[in-house]
Amino acid sequence: MKSTAELQEKSVTKIDTKWRFIYWRSAILYLLPSIILFSVFLFYPLGKTLYLSFFLTDQQGNANVFVGLENYQYILQAESFHKSIKATILFVLYTVPTGVIISLFLALLANEKIKGVGIFRTIYSSTMGISVAASAVVWLFIFHPSMGILNQLITSIGGTSIDWLLHPNWALVSVSVTTIWMNIGFSFLIILGGLQNIDDHLYESARISGASYFYQLRRITIPMLSPTLFFVITVSLINAFQTFGQVDILTQGGPSESTNLIVYSIYREAFVNYQFGTASAQSIFLFICILIVTILQFKFGERKVHYQ
Amino acid sequence: MKKLLLLFFLTLSLLIFITACSNDAEGEEPEEDTADEEQQADESTENEETNEEEAMDEKVEAVFWHAMSGSGQESIEAIVDNFNQSQDQYTIIPEFQGSYEEALTKFRSVGGTEDAPAIIQTFEVGTKYMIDSGFIEPVQSFIDEEGYDINQLEENILNYYTVDDQLYSMPFNSSTPVMLYNKDAFEEAGLDPEDPPQTFEEIKEAAEQLTVKDGDNTERYGFSILNYGWFIEELIATQGGLFVNNDNGRSDEATEAVFNGEEGLRVFQLIDEMNQAGTYGNFGSNWDDIRAAFQTENTAMYLDSSAGVAGTVENAPFEVGVAYIPYSEEAERNGVIIGGASLWMSNGIDEAKQQAAWEFMKYLQSPESQAKWHIDTGYFSINPAAYDEEMVQERWEEVPQLKVTVEQLQETKPSYATQGALISVFPEARQQVVTAMENVLQGTDPQEALDQAVEETNRVMEQANRANE
Amino acid sequence: MKILRPTITYLLLIMTAVIVFFPVVYAFLISFMSGAELLQGKFIPESFHLENYQKAFERLPLAHYLWNSFFVSTVVMLGQLIVSALAAYAFVFIPFKGRNIVFFIFISTMMIPWEATMIPNFLTIQQLDWINNYQSLTIPFFAIAFGTFLLRQHFLTIPKELKEASDIAGLRSFKFFWKVVIPYCRTSFVTLGAYGFLTTWNMYLWPLLVTNNDQVRTVQIGLKQLQTQEMASEWGVVMAGVIIVIIPTLILLFLGQKQLQKGLAQGALK
Repeated sequence: MKSTAELQEKSVTKIDTKWRFIYWRSAILYLLPSIILFSVFLFYPLGKTLYLSFFLTDQQGNANVFVGLENYQYILQAESFHKSIKATILFVLYTVPTGVIISLFLALLANEKIKGVGIFRTIYSSTMGISVAASAVVWLFIFHPSMGILNQLITSIGGTSIDWLLHPNWALVSVSVTTIWMNIGFSFLIILGGLQNIDDHLYESARISGASYFYQLRRITIPMLSPTLFFVITVSLINAFQTFGQVDILTQGGPSESTNLIVYSIYREAFVNYQFGTASAQSIFLFICILIVTILQFKFGERKVHYQ
Repeated sequence: MKKLLLLFFLTLSLLIFITACSNDAEGEEPEEDTADEEQQADESTENEETNEEEAMDEKVEAVFWHAMSGSGQESIEAIVDNFNQSQDQYTIIPEFQGSYEEALTKFRSVGGTEDAPAIIQTFEVGTKYMIDSGFIEPVQSFIDEEGYDINQLEENILNYYTVDDQLYSMPFNSSTPVMLYNKDAFEEAGLDPEDPPQTFEEIKEAAEQLTVKDGDNTERYGFSILNYGWFIEELIATQGGLFVNNDNGRSDEATEAVFNGEEGLRVFQLIDEMNQAGTYGNFGSNWDDIRAAFQTENTAMYLDSSAGVAGTVENAPFEVGVAYIPYSEEAERNGVIIGGASLWMSNGIDEAKQQAAWEFMKYLQSPESQAKWHIDTGYFSINPAAYDEEMVQERWEEVPQLKVTVEQLQETKPSYATQGALISVFPEARQQVVTAMENVLQGTDPQEALDQAVEETNRVMEQANRANE
Repeated sequence: MKILRPTITYLLLIMTAVIVFFPVVYAFLISFMSGAELLQGKFIPESFHLENYQKAFERLPLAHYLWNSFFVSTVVMLGQLIVSALAAYAFVFIPFKGRNIVFFIFISTMMIPWEATMIPNFLTIQQLDWINNYQSLTIPFFAIAFGTFLLRQHFLTIPKELKEASDIAGLRSFKFFWKVVIPYCRTSFVTLGAYGFLTTWNMYLWPLLVTNNDQVRTVQIGLKQLQTQEMASEWGVVMAGVIIVIIPTLILLFLGQKQLQKGLAQGALK
């Protein structure tokens, strides 16, 4: 009896090492395309960016003066970079919570089981199909100081027209409004999907016990939806940090650098001012910021998430 | 249903992939051109045609990168077309490359190689960069070789692109700032529409009268400037002020920005005072916005590019006047610096291609081409002979305001100030000036704002010098 | 109460739909207006003439651009599906050592801001001599962490029994993948496909950088060419361009909306 058991165990470990190798080999085969592409187009450039951030670059973009941490020292003390950081933080605060709340609201509406709701779902999700370039151009016209519909509406009811893109405070708000609108489609679709995955029985029993709509919302919907919301918030955060197109088209970072978000500032440094060194330093800074925020979010956010 | 959709997608994409590949191999796709697309016909078809022609008689092809969109693109492609048909040795292929900055970015990466375009259009502030880049062949070498008479061209435009007595690039789309004003509003406010304000003080007074308020709401501002560094540079230059040291970088490498001197301060003070008095309208940094503000009578006077005059005159529902840009009464009027862009020739490419580029540049200078260009776009003719062409004369009769822009340029006194600054980091400097301007509009002290901008500009200049040593 | 609730819901639905859809309608209306009508600040055009559309098509080879966009987006979509599916398969069905670490590295790529890698990438493309090529517009985007993540989440829901049964039946792993995994996870594939298609269609800065001529340009660049800097923009024509650019994606979205929503939700949930 004993010997057979031993024998069996031996053969199992033998198979294990053999399988381990086979697993490795096939895993690598499957992962190879991704690994190659990531290495060439993400990790290598990231490394190169890190490298460039320690140099000054000449007009051809070659790194030719090693300056150590000087680029980092400079951006950390430069007022315009402080402004960029401030604008980016404000932008994230303006867009992420508002965007998620609006999308949640729309998804709740569109989740009602009534006739013709499909049309509304299609409309709400439509902004996902509209490119950054197209939507920013349309909003540029909406915000137009004299011909735009917003100021025309305001003045027609006797208000004072607003300098949407011209006043530093309003400009960031305007860019945020555009961004929220652009992101609604995607967030809406995900949240709606999440809502539809919630088990109907939960609501039925709540209804039987006579719970109000808002009670159900607070006690059933939101907790059951929390993983979806978590995902939406994570994606929105990352997107907000990487906003570029709408800034380029609407404000070019102005007025008074109030909408000079970090990514836009990187673009300007690199492609208008040809300072690859400082641009790279800013990129690395941004990468670290996003990394920290994401880690924090996973650490503290995921605790509150309720999994089924 | 789901299966169907997936299947549909897959087959569709497969089909597309296959057709596309076979198309690639042939070089071109069958065109969906309709008969009425003649002149602006699909560029790809044009290329196809030229390919065929080349096969027949070995035409030299030269690529021309430009940054003109909208009506400028239309006009430039028409001129290129005319050139290609006017002779049978060369074919110029125009290619749009995005904004000037984007075009320059790409040029930086292909410059000096075989892939470089034969001609690239670069904005005026890129001049110093291009000279230093080592990627370009000064057009002067072709001028000397051929004994080409450059003097037929507008002197004040040549001045800008001439560095150390060498003409580096061929001037092309050139513009200067002018002041546009609403004549009807002038009459309404009791001002003489034929005698527009000339100096800063006069602007201030006129703006006072032109501003219309309705309670808190300003219905019409007196005066506006686009938040664009170019206008500040011009307002400084017209007073004889310099932008950077060493004679605007013309006699020696510029090492310090000096636009925070008295001339610059006067400009910023003017903006600040008018802004505080509520007679200055801020319409941002977008060309279209300030023009719309003028046309919808939200502002009565503003500075615009000469290239925008015709469009504004034609679209405005009122009589538009054009005047020289204002100067400070504490200084003399010096005139304006040329703006816009010029055409550069690459080195490191085939000599035949360079020759093609040179022939095209010469063709561009012809009075006929320039007349067409001037009328289509409102940019200056770099060849003054074009102004005698019938089509221009007719146009001027229609829009006499265009003449003012030319006169202002021709009356300009050549000096270091009006020759314009040469700085390798000009785009950044311009951006700093805009930020300073915006800060002043938000209440920052003019001197402080200017000093800040100068300090920043100096820093990048120093850094650039360090990196390029 | 019974009637009140649907009424309020409808009211809210209509109101919000009007607001959300307004910019599109506005662009649509403007695309029919002449310059003078725009200046007068009209909202409804006097007549629906197609002049602006005609101008947009005359000025640029928009049909060719549309075709390029369509081609590039489709290739990227297919590429992403294949590459992500392979990677996701490995993460779910092959219990190799270090799986979690590799997966974390994959996910972390989502956090690299694309702009941070733009400059070196551009130089790489140039060294590969891919400028003005469809390759430069497609291949760099084949690997996408989001796609791997989305598919992995769905693959995880495939019952273990299915895999075991197929192992016993002697299905080779590729066959298992083809016969079992793909049919089981269709929604995710459709979702990822649509997502890839839309994001590629919407790319803007990258195509501008890596293309120099009209042969391979995409339609978003066309949109940029309709706007002008120093001369006056014709807003009517620009808006006509906007409408031309968004219609294909909107149609795609309308068709695939249900699948998209289901698939995205699955990715987000697990």
